[in-house]
Amino acid sequence: MRNRCYAGSPDLCFSVVMRKTRLLVIAVLAATASLSACGGGAPDAISFNSASCGGTWTLAKPGWHTFELRNANDVGGEIDLIDPKTSGVYAEVDQFGPGTTQTMSLDVGSGRYAFRCFFEDVDPMTGPTVTVPGRVKGFPATVPVTFNDLVEPAKSYQAYVSAGLKTLVGQTETLAGDVQRGNLTAARRDWLPAHLTYETLGAAYDAFGNFDDEIDGRADALGVTNPKWTGFYRLEYGLWHGQSAGELAPYAGKLATDVRSLLATWPTTEIPLIDIGLRTHEILENALEFQLTGHDDYGSGTTLATTLANVQGTRELLSVLQPLLVTRYPGLPGVYTWLNRLQALLEAEHQPDGTWVPAAQLPLSARQQIDAACGQALQELAPIASIAEPRNT
Amino acid sequence: MGEAEKLPGRRSFLRGMAGGVAGGVVAGGAAGFALRASQPDPAMAADTVSLEGRLPAVPFHGRYQAGITPPAQRQTAVISFDATADGKSELADLFQTITSRARFLTAGGTPPPVGIDGPPSDSGLLGATVIPDGLTVTLGVGSTLFDDRYGLASQLPERLTPMQSFPNDNLDPAQTGGDLILQLSAGNADTVLHALRDIARHTRGAMQINWRIDGFGSPARPAGTVPRNLLGFMDGIANPPLSKARELLWVQPGTAGEPAWTAGGSYFVVRLIRMFVEFWDRVDVFEQQQMIGRNRTTGCPLDASSLFATPDFGADPTGAVIPLNAHIRLANPRTPQTASSRILRRGYNYDRGIDQVGDLDQGLIFTCFQQDIKRQFEAVQTRLIGEPLVDYISPFGGGYFLALPGVRDTADWYGRALLA
Repeated sequence: MRNRCYAGSPDLCFSVVMRKTRLLVIAVLAATASLSACGGGAPDAISFNSASCGGTWTLAKPGWHTFELRNANDVGGEIDLIDPKTSGVYAEVDQFGPGTTQTMSLDVGSGRYAFRCFFEDVDPMTGPTVTVPGRVKGFPATVPVTFNDLVEPAKSYQAYVSAGLKTLVGQTETLAGDVQRGNLTAARRDWLPAHLTYETLGAAYDAFGNFDDEIDGRADALGVTNPKWTGFYRLEYGLWHGQSAGELAPYAGKLATDVRSLLATWPTTEIPLIDIGLRTHEILENALEFQLTGHDDYGSGTTLATTLANVQGTRELLSVLQPLLVTRYPGLPGVYTWLNRLQALLEAEHQPDGTWVPAAQLPLSARQQIDAACGQALQELAPIASIAEPRNT
Repeated sequence: MGEAEKLPGRRSFLRGMAGGVAGGVVAGGAAGFALRASQPDPAMAADTVSLEGRLPAVPFHGRYQAGITPPAQRQTAVISFDATADGKSELADLFQTITSRARFLTAGGTPPPVGIDGPPSDSGLLGATVIPDGLTVTLGVGSTLFDDRYGLASQLPERLTPMQSFPNDNLDPAQTGGDLILQLSAGNADTVLHALRDIARHTRGAMQINWRIDGFGSPARPAGTVPRNLLGFMDGIANPPLSKARELLWVQPGTAGEPAWTAGGSYFVVRLIRMFVEFWDRVDVFEQQQMIGRNRTTGCPLDASSLFATPDFGADPTGAVIPLNAHIRLANPRTPQTASSRILRRGYNYDRGIDQVGDLDQGLIFTCFQQDIKRQFEAVQTRLIGEPLVDYISPFGGGYFLALPGVRDTADWYGRALLA
């Protein structure tokens, strides 16, 4: 997930930065782009500057059209091709570096078109409206999701996380008590529900900051013997590798303390609005990479249960975004079809005695069914990150 | 097979006796369709355009699949899938999706824009426009697709079975079989990979990759000859002519026992064959040539001075020139009795890292097409049991499949006659 920055994968951290602070990196991108000769441009390109958003241009007939756009401004920005009546966006050029040319291709239908410009330090401008005659259907415009649109979903999600953390405080205190009393059988029993609660909060991990590493960090970069490795996976490793209560008690105590501290800071923590949409697919991208592969199985063999918790966390995000998505994403029913299928397949691996089939022990056909359902669910979820990205209007 | 066991086979060969155990149909142009019996390889001329990604589109629609008879492109991927579709209707959706993707990818074109509604519709590996680059998409079905999952048991092709394990085989179940086989071939590796990623992203829920292997074909060296395999021998010299396709290649309408839907299909055998190239390179060239039956430098049969000459085994009844157990002699004895066992070979080299002792893991993706696996591939392979070459190779995977009949037109789809 883009919110987790481990020593082994600095590029993942970088992509978070890119998506969260897009305007700041325009200059860098422009410099990169010039390497592939993007600075020139066709003489008939539509030109944009601080005073004119496209100027006069024409579009005689519907059909495939590639616009050549030139940013003649001395700052970067974003150009959208919109339906001026609905403010719906047909196409966008984002991170449009100064002095560069970009293309925008689409299937133009009959209707009204205008460019809208968002340059840094300049008020948004809309260029003249161009009408394409006739009754030909083209690529549809999507009404963008705004920052305001995401405030309520973010509040709902914040409350969901808050409730989850309150539950988690009790669960991690129970777990710490088990270990401190030396009852490791009880600790092995109580570890799973606590971990699963945490695993339903996947869109907030970035907002959790360092707490996420402390609470749910992997051993990857540190190694399993490094005392700096703490949290759920550290405890799992010890509980399922014969380590003593004395050895594990400090880790169990620290976990409960960290969760309490996280809860205390949570009311003043903000989830970036862009995360709500991004995490709809990233939570399960992570599950596919770390849980279904068995990578994050430190001994309990419960990564399928973790994946199921991740499905629940994904469902919560979809639920808060539902009002924004129903009108914008025709593929939404497919999302639920595949999440339901994935969930049923995972639940089938929950044994009558309460244990879970470890991912590594899945028979081939069951593994293929689960991987297929997760892969297809991800394909269906992927567009939501773009659709629910907060945009200027 | 251990070294100690191998050596007796080799020694017995040196004494001119049949020895060792079975191998794979590997080298030296045994049976197979030369699409151009005694002409220079046109793939040669194609090398330049291939490298530039300018191979023309291969027409997708037709009575037969387009990737079976043309000269092999330079790059290939062979991918086995298991179906995960839930029921026959989803399976039909899968075949329709593969059809529409293959139709687009083989013709090329501009992927549709998505506006602000999602990630790009194409991986972008080939740039803004998808080039055809000679891409062919060959789809086949394995016998396991006809189990109880999709209600297709009564439609099982008469001659389709799980792959037989021959005496020298060392089959790894994880690299053998599969419900479906997909071969993607094109002028360049990026074109092949682009096609694989495209098809996979459109079919994730309905099929999962079981095993895959990538291969390449070499340019003919010297120009005008035939590409070499990784034993250093020219391979694919003696494929039968296309005029024999009716008798040797395509399942014919009304063939006894075959369900009607199979007409126009072709049985597709894939054998993944490791070559122990370090061992091979420690064998003197005389001995190598005796095992294959051809000259390593020129490709000529040992009894002739032209590459495409037909060896005259009748004139050499004791094997004084071409040993009786040489690969080309066992694989294709050139007798009237064995003419119906000829196969269309379309092999590729593979090269993928190292093994546990640091030797190179490379070999042959042996693929062949035929009308009847038992009468053709298995007959050839059975004759090869005991050839000296088996000490230097190890078949470890692959499978038996039926390449589906062609997609006739824009309304047709892969397997329509089976699934509609």
